[in-house]
Amino acid sequence: MALYNTEAVVLRTINFSETDKLCTLYSRNFGKVKCVAKSARRLKSRYGAALEPLSYIKTIYFGKEGQELYRLNHCDILKSFQSVREDIGKLYTGVYFLELVDTLVHDGESAPHLFDFILEALRQIQKQKDLEILRRMFEIRFISLLGYLPNLSVCLICKKEPGKSGIGFNFQRGGIVCPTCRPRELSETHFSVGTWNYLKKLLTFDIQYSDRIKLPKALQDEIEQVTHRMILSHTGRELKSYPFIKQMVSL
Amino acid sequence: MKRPPAVLELISELKRLPGIGQKTAERLSFFLMRGTLDQARRLANSIVKVKEKIVLCSECHSITESDPCDICRDPRRDPSQICVVEEPHDVFVLESMGEFQGKYHVLMGAISPLDGIGPESLTLEDLKTRVASKGPIREVILATNPNMEGESTAVYISKLLKPYEVRVTRIARGLPMGGDLEYADPVTLKKSLEGRMDMP
Repeated sequence: MALYNTEAVVLRTINFSETDKLCTLYSRNFGKVKCVAKSARRLKSRYGAALEPLSYIKTIYFGKEGQELYRLNHCDILKSFQSVREDIGKLYTGVYFLELVDTLVHDGESAPHLFDFILEALRQIQKQKDLEILRRMFEIRFISLLGYLPNLSVCLICKKEPGKSGIGFNFQRGGIVCPTCRPRELSETHFSVGTWNYLKKLLTFDIQYSDRIKLPKALQDEIEQVTHRMILSHTGRELKSYPFIKQMVSL
Repeated sequence: MKRPPAVLELISELKRLPGIGQKTAERLSFFLMRGTLDQARRLANSIVKVKEKIVLCSECHSITESDPCDICRDPRRDPSQICVVEEPHDVFVLESMGEFQGKYHVLMGAISPLDGIGPESLTLEDLKTRVASKGPIREVILATNPNMEGESTAVYISKLLKPYEVRVTRIARGLPMGGDLEYADPVTLKKSLEGRMDMP
């Protein structure tokens, strides 16, 4: 039986049996883990608000190495991100990020740089007013940090930079196809040079300075379509929280 | 030796209940088998009776044997206050307190983006209709759970009811009675400070 001591972000919590909770954490040292928190539903539970999704916590859990479900022993809130929960737009964005992490990250894969990125993204939700750009940046950067870096620099076929609009994107091969090669290669969408430039910028820009980029309104839909299709090509299904973001815009 | 088919069927039916796994289902089915036929009939009849007699109140969506429910029909209840709760059993929890004299509205869940449960899955339109119908409603008390789903539902409802001349309040969140300040987490402490009241 091993004792694990790590920082983590709470991805998801569901009620489990009479008074317990089952929580999914993304930890800095041990990747994604699932834990049972005994008696966490009780009013005087020692976990308090620590197991609410979005919370950044310091936790201790135990169990045999490699088992599917660990037993939570202790939690301290390091940052609650409560202000994110009190604003519907910010909350839905945060929940969308959490669902992306939960869907695309496999259990037990430790990646401290990914953890820091997720934490920084949550901090940015708290600070930022323009969540649209933050969502686009998170989508594209998160995918590249997972190792699915899209090839945005040169055409998949001729290896040359596309010079004019009508650039295609092959989601299966994860790269762009120039207008000249498009008839030869299956590309599921096409976009302008402006969108291409912004996609490259989003891919390399540090998320903590995301407020320094302004997305032109005219390109927003096109950029969203590309990043959303990129996400879909990896998840294989629409995320449950995605329609909520669309709904929130109309609220 | 294999279990008789009737026993297997009972175990598989019991396993469908929340919180009941294979072992518990086996223990319950063997308990039922040891009891008398009369006891088993009473249990079976009460399950059937619940399904046959219990309906949802057309006004508040709580469970009842007669529509509208006893609370909605009671002339002594204050129609100017509506307490909004997530589930029908929350009505009974609040009623056990014996202090609230208003009426209720059951949402039949809470907004949960991670489970794909949106506002359209809840009885929010009925709530809006109740508030909008030039009735006597003056205050809507949001008594959803103090978790992420409950909080986002409360925020959503407060936005939804903004166009109407109605006071929207949220139940207090903070330290539980008999709790210890030393063990309270920062979020709970912050909420308890925000919700502080003047001493009488």
